Amino acid sequence: MSKKKIVGVTACSAGIAHTYMAAESLEKAGVAKGYEMKVETQGSIGVENKLTPLEIEEADVVILAVEINIDMSRFVGKRVLRVRAAEAIKNPETLIERALNQATTYGEKGTKAGIAKMGKTEEGGFFQHIMAGISYMIPMVIASGLILAIANVYAFQKDEAGRIVNWGFDTSTFIGDLMSNLFSVGQVGFLLMIPLFAGFVANSIAGKPAIAAAMIGTYIANDAEMLGAEAGGGFLAAILVAFAAGYLVKVLKKIPYPKMIQPIVPIMILPLVSTLIISIFVLYVIGTPMASMMDFLYQGLTTLNQNYAAAPVIVGVIIGAMVGFDLGGPINKTALVFGTAVFTDTVAKYGIEGANFVPQTATQAAISVAPLGIWLASILFKKKFSPTEKVSAHSAFGMGMVGVTEGAIPFAAQDPIRMIPAFVAGSAVAGGLAAGLGAKFYGGIGSPLGTFIGYIEQPIPFVTWIFSVMTGVLVTAVIIGFTKKKVE
Amino acid sequence: MTTSILDMQHITFQTAAKTKDEALQFIADFAKEQGIVKSAKAYYKGLKKREEEVTTGFKNSIAIPHCKHKTVKKPGLILVKFKNPIDWESMDNQPVHITFALAIPEGKNQEHLTLLSTISRALIDEAFTKKILEASTTEEMFTVIKNKLLTQGN
Repeated sequence: MSKKKIVGVTACSAGIAHTYMAAESLEKAGVAKGYEMKVETQGSIGVENKLTPLEIEEADVVILAVEINIDMSRFVGKRVLRVRAAEAIKNPETLIERALNQATTYGEKGTKAGIAKMGKTEEGGFFQHIMAGISYMIPMVIASGLILAIANVYAFQKDEAGRIVNWGFDTSTFIGDLMSNLFSVGQVGFLLMIPLFAGFVANSIAGKPAIAAAMIGTYIANDAEMLGAEAGGGFLAAILVAFAAGYLVKVLKKIPYPKMIQPIVPIMILPLVSTLIISIFVLYVIGTPMASMMDFLYQGLTTLNQNYAAAPVIVGVIIGAMVGFDLGGPINKTALVFGTAVFTDTVAKYGIEGANFVPQTATQAAISVAPLGIWLASILFKKKFSPTEKVSAHSAFGMGMVGVTEGAIPFAAQDPIRMIPAFVAGSAVAGGLAAGLGAKFYGGIGSPLGTFIGYIEQPIPFVTWIFSVMTGVLVTAVIIGFTKKKVE
Repeated sequence: MTTSILDMQHITFQTAAKTKDEALQFIADFAKEQGIVKSAKAYYKGLKKREEEVTTGFKNSIAIPHCKHKTVKKPGLILVKFKNPIDWESMDNQPVHITFALAIPEGKNQEHLTLLSTISRALIDEAFTKKILEASTTEEMFTVIKNKLLTQGN
């Protein structure tokens, strides 16, 4: 028979003496009896000798000699005996034997692992998991967003007439080539950040075994080609996939696996099974609705555009709202694709004089509203933004100024209920104003700067465009100011 | 570094105390005398409060009263050997002869806390506690503890 493995945690209210004496007693007694022992101490120094998930998985029994509430989520499904710290000091040998013989499985119905309620495991829920994901995503959003923003500035070239701007990199020059590559670098970051977010949301729900399913599932949900759709699911799909993966793994963990395969459950069985299920779910359940939703929206826009050709403001408002809704997700993409398609179609058919600029102008007026609105809100309502949020908001400004709407994603993911309406309202205002006031967006950068970097025909040069966009930004900022909760 | 926490001056013998309360009172006054705490009264109250939560009396006639308190100026170990047996509601129901009192200032000081936790762990070693109980001079006690801390590592 192999050595019995025992893990423990000791903690007392002061975290000074009992914690360490209990740990020492348990270790000594366990080793003397020939068991493999590891005891984590949670004292005033912090956590020492931390138990790894693998050690917990492999342990025959968990002894908790604790007097304070500790995080119990790590021990779900394990045999746990919970006692006071003093008991481990008084009689460690008996305690170990008792644990081996009498410990009950923690987290299953009808059993109790010890005394009273077990602290912080349940609080927060949805919000706590989302926040965990965001905190891992933000550095990547900022790094890749700013690289993308810098490169983007170089992508606008004027033609010989010096007016209409082509979007693209002049790779014949060194700088152009470099910027073209940097643009790709930024795009890689944006490609990775959504699965990364989902992975850590799932990790927060069910631990490491859930990361694979959430990251792979989210990647597929954002790969339009694999889904056979026109666009991926964006961050809203990422939230859906992450929670599906997290809770699936949580359920899979509860299955009583035969003892022989238990060691490979967290590293092989759980990731494999959950990734298979989630991938198939994404491919066959999410893919088709996404394609048909895009199709439906596209048809709706065409009808709208045909019926209300005389009232650009209506089309502008609706297109603007769509752009602000999911920040790069399917609805946003539908609007962008539609805007470009209508423009190129009508240019081809009727020439530049008869072209329909409305949808494209509205999308470009709206595209920077969400990130800039966040930034403005962080300036106007300082108390409602934590220090981390302020950093994110500043980088959102950089991204917004060059028309990168993704800068607002961390905020939307963190608090969709409050943020998305604010983004939609501001974007709709910007889209409606720009289209209604008769601006014509030929090409360039989708932000207030577009009037300088790019070519926009407008009733009052520069002013109409900047006014339209900034009014939208202000609307978003004010709504955020009123709805966002104060930082504690 | 050991001496910053454990000083020969912080070890003493005491003959008067007969109860836990008198012992704690003595420890607090002694800590004040040694410049470890600002107020003997505040430290006494802190120790007392910790005892009320759970007794610090362990096995082998040793108790380890302690508290974290803002009156503590620097982290310290105060070692008192009492002549009279003192009832401390200890785990083996035996009276206490030696107290290892820990004084911990508020705020973080990792290095000192680690040392104090090492002392706590050391008390589980019966050979070690036996030597301390048998020691008859402060020098002897000091050497026993110092050697133990050095061999225990970190």
